[in-house]
Amino acid sequence: MSADRSGVVIAGGGLAAQRCAETLRKRGYEDPVRIVCAEAESPYDRSPLSKRVAAGAADGESVRFRDRGWYDDNAVELLLGRAASGLDPAARRLDLDDGTALGYDDLLIATGAAPRSLPMLAGYKNAFPLRTLADARRLSGELRAGSRLAVVGAGFIGQEVAATARAEGVEVTIVEALDLPLAGLLGADVGRWIVDLHLDEGVRVLTGAKLESAVGNDRVEQLALGGDERIGCDVVVVGVGVAPAAGWVAGSGLDPAGIKTDAAGRTGVAHVYAAGDVSRPFDARRGEHVRTEHWDAASRQGVAVAVAILGETPRAPALPSFWSDQYGLRIQYVGHAEGADEAKISGDPGARDFHVLYQRCGRPVAALAVARPREFAAMRLLIGSDGEPDSEPTDTDEPPTKEMSR
Amino acid sequence: MTLIPTIDEYGCSAHGDCVAIAPTAFALEETAVVIGAATDEELIAAAEACPALAITLTDAGTGQVVFP
Repeated sequence: MSADRSGVVIAGGGLAAQRCAETLRKRGYEDPVRIVCAEAESPYDRSPLSKRVAAGAADGESVRFRDRGWYDDNAVELLLGRAASGLDPAARRLDLDDGTALGYDDLLIATGAAPRSLPMLAGYKNAFPLRTLADARRLSGELRAGSRLAVVGAGFIGQEVAATARAEGVEVTIVEALDLPLAGLLGADVGRWIVDLHLDEGVRVLTGAKLESAVGNDRVEQLALGGDERIGCDVVVVGVGVAPAAGWVAGSGLDPAGIKTDAAGRTGVAHVYAAGDVSRPFDARRGEHVRTEHWDAASRQGVAVAVAILGETPRAPALPSFWSDQYGLRIQYVGHAEGADEAKISGDPGARDFHVLYQRCGRPVAALAVARPREFAAMRLLIGSDGEPDSEPTDTDEPPTKEMSR
Repeated sequence: MTLIPTIDEYGCSAHGDCVAIAPTAFALEETAVVIGAATDEELIAAAEACPALAITLTDAGTGQVVFP
């Protein structure tokens, strides 16, 4: 390792950062690697926070990607509790919020995203998002059997929090502005199935609900909805989406609304890459830059940036994909369901055992599976091969249900 | 090229895509485990499909990591 090299600096300490650092070392990169983590926590996985940590079923240590010894053994330096605050790409300098600065040979921007907040819930001690380990610990401290949790937003984070809390005997109400959650992407049938899943588990689900105000002094005691409905609550989790945490790049030539990159994470600025929730990579299948916020994408993009920094050619990006664990069920999704003109359901949604193949002009474009990992794996391959821009149309677009059924 | 798969047990979240794609090489226990051999093509397809990127492929001849 040569002392005169600045090496790779990674702004942000989440999944994309960890994957990039690991891939650099696995593939023999020998110059310094430094990770700047805004939280005073060594890099950890956010995906278990809504699944296990919020219920107190896992402590902070179990969600770390690696123990501290890994960073020493791999010469990856962690700068904890410091955030990137500015970028001078001409000088190849990253400014930090403690007034110091780091030089870099290559920079990965992986500062993630910050939860959107709701003005009517600002300032209340018992209303918060679930994004960080600190949030999860806070929620775990608030939840006990019989307490009342209100979840604002029926996206997958909100759903997982609801399921996790329900398993602990918490009384849960989901408040969702849309008439059916996620119906825009997954279709009305799946949206309705999601609502029914939570209803069957004893969660109160209020859809088409307009949150108007909060009632309480320093803690929310009731949520006031349109139509004079009041929801009593002891704690409120707000899951209404996230926005790129990139305000600090303003003035550097990069877009704070989501840093545009090519498929390998290269920005338009030399030696600056971006990955994960903060980035907006070019999606060749859609012909535009798309921000996905998927765990899977952050992981693959972090790897791709490491490969690109090493001067090699990263693999083509995988299809968008995510999963969710709720009530002991694994829900998996892959592809681009937006724009699908048909959704074929196979199996028995009422028995929580089914899959959906989304098609557009008779070609498979996306799939969703509930408790069907083998069918899902087959559909992932089917969509991946059919979606190739240069692939020949096939006359066998039937889902592989028959031969894959167990 | 002969590829050697290894599974990062920490990274694996038991999706089972590798088992569906290369059943001779992988099996699902608490996490996925390597149980035997498969063609390089199958191993690459399995490693690429893994949502957790928990499969590392090493070239047996050169010792170089080729995936991820």
